[in-house]
Amino acid sequence: MNSKMNPATPLVELKNIHQSFTLSSGQKIKVLQDIHFTLEEGEILAILGPSGSGKSTCLRILSGLIEPTLGQCLRRGKPLVGPNPDVAMVFQTFALLPWLNVAQNVAVGLEPLSLTKLEAEERIKKAIDLVGLEGFEEAYPRELSGGMKQRVGIARALVMERPILCLDEPFSALDVLTAEVLRKEVLNLWRSGKTPVKSIVIVTHNILEAISMGSKILVMGTNPGQIKLAVKNDLPYPRDEISGRFKEFVDNIHSVITEDIIPDTPDWVPPAMIANAVEALPSVQLNEVFGLLDRIHESGGRADAFAIAQALKQESTQVLLMAKAAELLDFVDTPKNAIVLTNLGNQFVKADVNLKKQMIRAQLQQLRIADLLKTKLETSENHEISTEECLEFIRDWLPNEPAEKIFDTLIQWSRYGELFGYNATSKTVYLDQPDVGA
Amino acid sequence: MYLTKKTIVPKGSFKVGDTAVLLLVALVIYLIGITAKQWEGVYRPAVEIDLSASSLLLFSLFSMGRAMIAYILSLLFTLIFGYLAAKNRIAEKIIVPLLDIGQSIPVLGFLPGLVLGLVSIFPKTNIGLELACILMIFTGQVWNMAFSFISSMKSVPTQLYEMSDNVGLSKLRQFFRVELPCSATGLAWNSLMSVAGGWFFLTVCEAFTLGEKNFRLPGLGSYMSVAIDQDNHRAMAFGALAMVAVIVISDFVIWRPVIAWTSKFRLSESHEDFQTIPFMTLLFRESLIAQKVTAEFEGIIFQWSRFYRKIFRSKTFGQSTNPISRKMKSKGQGKFLEGLVSVLLYLSLAVVAWRLINFVSQLRWVEWREILVCASFTGTRVFTAVVLGTLWALPAGILIGLSPKLTRWFQPIIQIGASFPAPMVYPLALGLFAILHLHINVSSALLMLLGVQWYVLFNVLAGAVTISVDLMDSFRLTGVSKKTLWTKLYLPSVFPYLVTGWVTAAGGAWNASIVSEYVSFGGTPLIARGLGAMISESTSQGNYPKLVGCLLVMVATVILINRLFWSRVYHFAETRFRFER
Repeated sequence: MNSKMNPATPLVELKNIHQSFTLSSGQKIKVLQDIHFTLEEGEILAILGPSGSGKSTCLRILSGLIEPTLGQCLRRGKPLVGPNPDVAMVFQTFALLPWLNVAQNVAVGLEPLSLTKLEAEERIKKAIDLVGLEGFEEAYPRELSGGMKQRVGIARALVMERPILCLDEPFSALDVLTAEVLRKEVLNLWRSGKTPVKSIVIVTHNILEAISMGSKILVMGTNPGQIKLAVKNDLPYPRDEISGRFKEFVDNIHSVITEDIIPDTPDWVPPAMIANAVEALPSVQLNEVFGLLDRIHESGGRADAFAIAQALKQESTQVLLMAKAAELLDFVDTPKNAIVLTNLGNQFVKADVNLKKQMIRAQLQQLRIADLLKTKLETSENHEISTEECLEFIRDWLPNEPAEKIFDTLIQWSRYGELFGYNATSKTVYLDQPDVGA
Repeated sequence: MYLTKKTIVPKGSFKVGDTAVLLLVALVIYLIGITAKQWEGVYRPAVEIDLSASSLLLFSLFSMGRAMIAYILSLLFTLIFGYLAAKNRIAEKIIVPLLDIGQSIPVLGFLPGLVLGLVSIFPKTNIGLELACILMIFTGQVWNMAFSFISSMKSVPTQLYEMSDNVGLSKLRQFFRVELPCSATGLAWNSLMSVAGGWFFLTVCEAFTLGEKNFRLPGLGSYMSVAIDQDNHRAMAFGALAMVAVIVISDFVIWRPVIAWTSKFRLSESHEDFQTIPFMTLLFRESLIAQKVTAEFEGIIFQWSRFYRKIFRSKTFGQSTNPISRKMKSKGQGKFLEGLVSVLLYLSLAVVAWRLINFVSQLRWVEWREILVCASFTGTRVFTAVVLGTLWALPAGILIGLSPKLTRWFQPIIQIGASFPAPMVYPLALGLFAILHLHINVSSALLMLLGVQWYVLFNVLAGAVTISVDLMDSFRLTGVSKKTLWTKLYLPSVFPYLVTGWVTAAGGAWNASIVSEYVSFGGTPLIARGLGAMISESTSQGNYPKLVGCLLVMVATVILINRLFWSRVYHFAETRFRFER
């Protein structure tokens, strides 16, 4: 794909980008690793990935809002310095100024240009017409619905008349129907050629959105953020989401994402079984796992991860993480995209609260990370350890994972299972003594 | 801004609002006029104060003029240094500690330096003395505003910055379009508080003794202090009334409309707008002149910025450069620079400390011991005042805050109470304490209380208003006792606000000790044993080494208590009791 030489210089090219941030705790987190891609003229590039895969960071690098730690961002073949003047950006939170009305908010996009009042008003009127906001020129953002607000955001981007339109999870704060309508409108705007927008970059965690819009799709994985897959998508616009080819595309991308989160090697054994392998607990709440188990139980003990994601209106990667958590606890198996309830999982769904607690406790004790921590607690004074020490241990056991997140998850799970307790005031973890009578 | 046609102005009609605007403009011009005349006048360190009621109007205007100029200086200082501190890590390292120190120095600490310095620069006219007075009022106003501005600048949402960078707004535009509006609400409320803080020491700022010399500037504060010295009850009453009038009028004409106006700049979407639009706002809205001026104002600023850019003939000048990227590029360089600045900072601190130590080395060991003993006395008074204030203001604040009706009634009253300079009613309070046979060592704590209780009340009230109706309902449904309701819901809910009240009250009490431990009553001075009294005494005696010694101890004590005690309480309150927002 990328290896094919293109005679025209790409609008933007990211070369060997690495990015890392330092957390306030001093821990260095690698966000992006070896990112390389181009944005050609006439392309819609969809960057798809779960939260934490650095997709928004990629967008900010190509718009020049962030400078990469390593590597280069080229604009039309030349190194980019400062904000990219070819890019107009649309934000997830809309980034409107609440004290300006619609027309004034759109006008902000023109402020740096020295236009005459007449020219400016003409361009503002055109942009407002394009997104269908006529009649709302004098409304203030707080009077508008989310969808209308995002229209203002799009109009402000269009009024700048720049060749690249960058959309940062533009529809994820909107309800499903509004998102669908706006997605179609953006596509139509681009195809109609009524705007100077030549290429679009959209960052999203929604697979359908990526496939229905993107002519090139980058699938990103986490820890650290990296490109898992780059595919061309030449389905003709407007794309029919129920066509066979569309579905095939969706399936293929599903399996890439699943593979990234729950590796499905044939002789795969839960890490808990392997000596010395400490599990990285996925950042998932236990009640989310319970909800997932109930759902699978309702659908007869077996369900498709992506179908569940759609039914629960959840990010599919989040559902996969829940499945991973359930698998760590031995409640489910995950052959391919499916999630299957184990016998233990079946018992669990039917159990009452007290039995559930006992089962979680038993399963937690099987986990290597809980076992290690238990040993540490048993050998320590008063059977308690400070948060800081505990984080140190986790960093030791899992050097490549965000220790704070794992700590939070571990504490949340073991509070439920009454394995470890946590005192928020003294910030210490202690060994819980469950009342046997209960 | 393009498209400003939204306000359809009825042509040619001259409204009541215009009259109001013109009157206001005329008043400001008049203020400038009399102030200028006073400044140009031949140097008169101590003006004779005429205690007749008719002279009060002119005196009030003089004081208002000073407060106005001091406020403009405070605002400029806040915008410039607040911006620098919020934008530049190195600047922040220098500015924030300086603000912290400045905040804990009582006004008398600035007095000798300002007066002696400025009078020697302008020996022939009143300018030096007037400037000194204005700068002293300034030191009562500025810190609060600066801290508020820095914190609101830092909490501007990232996506708004990204938007502004993406669009390519210049730094200037970014400031006026994004940063200043985002800070406007906080700035307006803190301006109100700051101006009140400036009034507090008016009597001290306008009339003071330095060494052998008496200084008195024409103004409300001098009027009051002469009235107190002569024990003229009638004049005291008139002075206090005039002060109330000044506060009420400025609240009505300036602060209410300003706060109502800035409420449109709030970032949150909640509709808690002013329930009734302030009368002055209505007048302004009607006024043709006001509309014209505000419409042109923006244009003028941005025209100027365009002109500015043209002069420098550089495309990138004024073009926004991304703060993040810049930081990354010069990471190594930045680190080095930061280190360098730190070293320079510590060096200059060492030099200042060395000079101060030399200066105060004339103090004998006995004097140091007395200073420390006095500090502990004053500390005890501060503690007592805060505790007493809490005892009544905490329940009162909760009760008022729980009832929207009471809140509407009491909020303006409390605001005036908080703005009123307590030293003006000290003689009255002391008369009462004399009947009770309280020694000044005890009663000075009560005088402190007069000034600082409002901070507790004000903050608790603000907290009580936010207690969620859902929570209250759920508590009531379970039929718990009144006691449980208070201990489990009301008190924990207002606790974070109470802590803010405590911090402000304690800080204010330390500063107020200079007036509450050294008061004139019935023509004779009453002096308590305390650090504040010692500062006042050494100022009027011109004993500068002792003054500096006292100030060092006070600043160190206040900063240490803030760092070691209040910051922890504050953190505890924020993490344990704050409702998620």
